[in-house]
Amino acid sequence: MAKTMTLNICHLYPDLMDTYGDKGNTVTFQKRCRWRGIDVKVANISVGQPLSNFDFDFYFFGGGQDKAQTIVGIDLQKKKRHLETAVNNGAVLLSICGGYQLLQKYFKTKTGEIIKGIGLFDAFTVGSDERMIQNLLVEINSELEQDIKDSYQTTDYRLSTTNLIGFENHSGKTYLGKNVQPLGRVIKGAGNSGEDKTEGAVYKNAFGCYLHGSLLPKNPHFADYLIVKSLERRYGKVKLKPLNDEIEWLAHKSAIDRTRSQT
Amino acid sequence: MDFKLFLATLAGKILAFVIGVFGGGATAAPGLYALKIDPNFVSKLSKQIPQGSIIISGTNGKTTTARLTYDILSIKYQVIHNRQGSNLLRGIASTMITNCSIFGKLKFDLALWEVDEATLPEAINNVFPKTIVLLNLFRDQLDRYGEVDSTRVKWQKALRTLPKNTTLILNCDDPGISILEKSFAGKKIFFGVSDSKVRLPAVATVADVKHCLVCAAGLIFTAQLSAHLGHYRCPSCNFKRPIPSISATNIIFKPDFSTSISLNLGNQTSTVNYPLPGLYNIYNVLAASATALNYGIDLATVIEKIKKFSTAFGRFQKTTINDRELLTFLIKNPAGANEVLRIISNLSKVNLLIILNDKIADGRDVSWIWDTDWEILKNKVDNVFISGIRRFDMALRLKYAGFKLSKNNVYKEVNYSILNALQKLSTKDTLIILPTYTALLDVQKTLSRAGEKVTKWQKQ
Repeated sequence: MAKTMTLNICHLYPDLMDTYGDKGNTVTFQKRCRWRGIDVKVANISVGQPLSNFDFDFYFFGGGQDKAQTIVGIDLQKKKRHLETAVNNGAVLLSICGGYQLLQKYFKTKTGEIIKGIGLFDAFTVGSDERMIQNLLVEINSELEQDIKDSYQTTDYRLSTTNLIGFENHSGKTYLGKNVQPLGRVIKGAGNSGEDKTEGAVYKNAFGCYLHGSLLPKNPHFADYLIVKSLERRYGKVKLKPLNDEIEWLAHKSAIDRTRSQT
Repeated sequence: MDFKLFLATLAGKILAFVIGVFGGGATAAPGLYALKIDPNFVSKLSKQIPQGSIIISGTNGKTTTARLTYDILSIKYQVIHNRQGSNLLRGIASTMITNCSIFGKLKFDLALWEVDEATLPEAINNVFPKTIVLLNLFRDQLDRYGEVDSTRVKWQKALRTLPKNTTLILNCDDPGISILEKSFAGKKIFFGVSDSKVRLPAVATVADVKHCLVCAAGLIFTAQLSAHLGHYRCPSCNFKRPIPSISATNIIFKPDFSTSISLNLGNQTSTVNYPLPGLYNIYNVLAASATALNYGIDLATVIEKIKKFSTAFGRFQKTTINDRELLTFLIKNPAGANEVLRIISNLSKVNLLIILNDKIADGRDVSWIWDTDWEILKNKVDNVFISGIRRFDMALRLKYAGFKLSKNNVYKEVNYSILNALQKLSTKDTLIILPTYTALLDVQKTLSRAGEKVTKWQKQ
């Protein structure tokens, strides 16, 4: 076999955007790489630290408190060009909730204040009085479905679903523009706006969504898809070594059971 | 006669009686109905209490602090306290219904109310507190409470309405609490831990306050004791940790889960040993002491009471079944759970049963287990068992924390999980049970059925 593959991960603003238990995503990404002998290096990049010296394969950007989001929003403008270039060159990015909102064009608060985003996603968010707080079950965008099935390898589970399960907690309503695809269709929950049944956004290999939970641990097919996409830029199409994901799928299913019982 | 008040009291008492007859545990219902009939029920009765009310609130420790404060104050005062009741306004109303005459008369010197963080502004408007004790604010059940910042903003608004003869008792180590002094012009008493280190293993922090709440510059921590609690100052404005008038130093955590501290009050210092574990209980002890001292109880009496205190049910509880010791610690949010894990990781060998539920009282979002540093236990654990509604989320968390675990140790039934875990231990082993709130109630049932040899059992 060829020499060890390496991935460079960038955790964006881990000190500020760390409120909603999204940490499980980077933990899962790393572990699932290491269990397959893929070397992972993680860099934490926060306010005042430039991205320009690095070439990352995967970026993670989680959710934080509103106040932190304001601080991050200002700093993010300085990272805008780098992130755009990286994503246009095939780098993979996962953003959740607050991170997802800051990568859009803008966030308009309830009081009418505009917090500028970086417009990576052709979308915007408007603050509302409606609290969208519940388990969220999403059917993945059909264009991604086959890709996910192809990249997911497991020892003992035949992939019967590419659905994503998580927990949403937001009052901002997100509306997508023309140059972006939704990540999927809402089966249960509110999703982007609670109005159009869409959830999340996809632009190239950049993904945004409202799925906490953490998302990747109990959606191992999506975790592996992100790993495959991250490897692709450096190493071409890689077939991942299968893992035993029994507990992952039991957690996935039990979370769905809770979704179905919610009113 | 106030007919509305009479009707509310009567309806509440009848409902409480009916619930009592049928053995229900719904302590909030009588209060809820009384408040529907007379929305001013609590405020009317509060005005009858000559020494006024004390409110205790915060994310972690309010039940333990309130109970300890009650124990101490009861030496001198007749205190009404929502010990059994819920900590929402309806729980306060229920407690009043139980304790008042049919005409809505209360005969107490003083009221002591444990109050839910989200209820604090409403409670202030209804009980006219003379003293408010604020312990801490941590991320907790974000699906219920929202963000720490937004809770604090609501508190600040409420505190601005207080009359100047109110006293605030504040944790000076939590910058999110000490900042509240700026919202209030009256008397303030600060308590805190003045040791710059605690001898417990470090955990990955879940700090909710990293920036100055005045000018937004990054805070400098010369000591970080737990999450964002510590000794801090702002590098660009004058915001810094206030100097506490009551503090703890020389902290020693003992293997039998008791603690020794020097309790410092002005230039007086006393060594106190008490049977509660962990850093978080030091804050509870300090808050209760500060409150009691402010109500004229002398230091020696306060210390006597602290020494003998046994904690609120399930917060920390020792039981013995078939020669196996069981230790139960309630877990409910990352900051609290991390402190519990730090205590446990002091042991050389750990047998663990974690019970994770996601009912409303637990928080329906289980994401918080990913913010909790289970990794620090991975090399200490001999046996790990898991139960609860979201047991597979918990199993997954431990898998990614590097635990070796078998699906056979994951149980649907809480009762079965406890008995089975006990069976797999050898005698003299200790089983540590970590339930979330609603799971704790299931644990209680099992323990009360199985526990003939209960060494420490405190009924609610």
